[in-house]
Amino acid sequence: MSEAPATGRSTTSALSAVVRYTVRACIPAQRILLLLPVVGAVLFGLLSRLSDEDVTTAFVRVGGTAMHTLVLPITCLVIGDALLGAEIRSGVFAFTWLSPVRYSTIVAGRWLGGCLIATVLLVPAAVGSALAAGAPSAAGAAAVAAVAGAGAYLALFLAIGASFKRPVVWSLVLVVLVERLLGAALAGIAQLSPGWLAQATLVGLTHPAADLHREGIPDGWAAVGRLVVVSLVGLAIATRRLRSLKPASSAD
Amino acid sequence: MSDRGDHADPAFVADATVEVENASVWFGQKVALSELTCSFGPGVTGLLGPNGAGKSTLMRAVVGLIGVNAGHVTVEGRDPRTDRDVHRRIALVPEDEAVPAQLTARQLVQYVADLHGVRDAGAAERALDQVDMMPAADRKLRGFSKGMRQRAKVAAALVTDPPVLVLDEPLNGADPVQRASLIDLFRGLGAEGRTVIVSSHVLSEVERLADRVLVLIHGRLAAAGNQRAIRDAMDDRPRHVLIRSEEPRRLGAALLRMGTVAGVSLTDAGLVVTTDRAGDLAVAVAPAARKLGIRLREVRPLDDSLESLFQELVR
Repeated sequence: MSEAPATGRSTTSALSAVVRYTVRACIPAQRILLLLPVVGAVLFGLLSRLSDEDVTTAFVRVGGTAMHTLVLPITCLVIGDALLGAEIRSGVFAFTWLSPVRYSTIVAGRWLGGCLIATVLLVPAAVGSALAAGAPSAAGAAAVAAVAGAGAYLALFLAIGASFKRPVVWSLVLVVLVERLLGAALAGIAQLSPGWLAQATLVGLTHPAADLHREGIPDGWAAVGRLVVVSLVGLAIATRRLRSLKPASSAD
Repeated sequence: MSDRGDHADPAFVADATVEVENASVWFGQKVALSELTCSFGPGVTGLLGPNGAGKSTLMRAVVGLIGVNAGHVTVEGRDPRTDRDVHRRIALVPEDEAVPAQLTARQLVQYVADLHGVRDAGAAERALDQVDMMPAADRKLRGFSKGMRQRAKVAAALVTDPPVLVLDEPLNGADPVQRASLIDLFRGLGAEGRTVIVSSHVLSEVERLADRVLVLIHGRLAAAGNQRAIRDAMDDRPRHVLIRSEEPRRLGAALLRMGTVAGVSLTDAGLVVTTDRAGDLAVAVAPAARKLGIRLREVRPLDDSLESLFQELVR
C-alpha cells in the first residue's frame, strides 16, 4: 500500500469535475423532455400576436410574463432539484460529499452546471418566444433576462435543497406563495424575487408600454445586478448549509 | 486510547487508525449507537449484527456522513465530520443501491478520482479492473444489477487508494463467483496494511472475510474478538427447538428424563424445548418418540437466525 495516494490539490480541476458531473447527471434519460421549455415559450410567444398593442409591448406583456412566471421557474425547479435535493434524498450525494473538495467548490460546480443546462434550455426558449411573437429586437433582452433569472432561481433552489428534506415542496412554496402571491402585492418581496426581477430585466431592456414598469423594483441592467446579488446570497446559504448536512441514505 | 491494545481487550487494537470513544447516535427517540467504544487498525475487521444493530450508523459516523451526538470518532486522529482532508485517507462503499444512474461505471470512478485529485491517468482503469468491471465499464449504471452496482462503488472507493476502507454490506447482490472474488480482494487489501472495515449480517460471510469481528446489537458492542471466540460465545448459549408431535406432554417429559433438554414448555405451536446440547437433542428426539409410539410432525430450531443467536449474547 502506498503511504499517500498520488493526489494533488486543484480547485479548478475539482470544480470542472463537479460541473461535468452535474451536466451528465442532470440531463434526463428522456431527452425529448428538454424541448418542453422551448415548446411552451414559443406557444406563449404566438399568443402575444393576438394582442393589438405594438409587438414589443405585446411580447413583454404575454410572452415575457408567461416565460417568467411559468417556463423559467418550472424549468429551474426541475433542474434545481436534480442539482442537489434529489441526490441528497437518494443517497447519491455521498459520492460528492465524501471527498476533500471544499463545500464552496461543490456548490459553485453544481450551480455552474445547472446554469449551463438552464442556458441551453432557456435561451432558445426565450429567443424562440420573441421570434414567435414577431419581436426579434427583444430576443437578446429576453435571453439575458432568462439567464440571469435562472442563475438566481438555481442558487435559491440549491440553498433550499441543502436546507430542507422536501426541497420540491419548499421550492414550490417559494415560487407560488412567496413570489406570485406575496410578490404581486409587496414590492419589497418582488425586488428580491428572481421571477419579478427577470421580468423587470426584460421590461427595462426593451422599453415597452409604461404600465409594464413596476414601481419599487429595479429594471434593466440594475435588475440583472440585483439577480446577481440574489444568486450570491443563495450560493452562500447553500455552502453554509452543506457544512451541517447529513447526507441521507436511501434507507433513511 | 493507544494503551488499550496492551490490555488485550478485543474491542481495541494497538495500532488503531480509527477510534470510536463512547459514541452515541440517536435519531429522535431511536438510539442507533449507544456509548460504543472500540477501535480499528490494519487488516480486515468484520462488523457483524442483525439488521438495525447500528452497523451502518457506525460506518456513516466513521466516514463523517453523520456526526455523533455524544462521544468521539477519529480517523488517524482527526474528526471526519469537520476535517475535509480526512476524505483523502478514507473511502466508503455505502450499502445503498443508489448510484448516479446517468453515468457509466467509468465516469463514476473517474469522477471520484477527479474529486480526490488523483493524477494517475490509469487509476480508474485499474480500479475497475480490480473488481472485474472492465467489460461493463462503459455501460450506464442505471442498467446494472445490484451486484454490479456494488462492484462499481467498490471501484470508486479503490480509485483513491485509501488507507482506510469502510465497506457496508459490500457483498449484497453479488453472485457466488463475484462474492469469492470480492472476498479475496478485501482480504488482500487488509494484508497490504489497510484498515478494512466490513459489515455484514451473515456470519459465514464475515468468517471468510475477517480475522477480527465486532458484534453489534442494539447499538452496543455485544462481543469482540476472533471468529472462534465469537462462535464459541454463540455455541455456549441455549437454543430453542420447536417439536410438533402427538402427545407433546409425554414426549417433553421423556426428553427431560433423558437430560438432553434443560426445559420444556407447551405452546400453541407445539412443544418448545430449551437445550444447550442441540446436537444431542437432534440425535435423541426421533428414537425417543419412536419408543413412546409418538408420531413426530416437525422438529425446527426456533433461534437459528443470527439475530436470535445475537440476542442470547446480550441476555
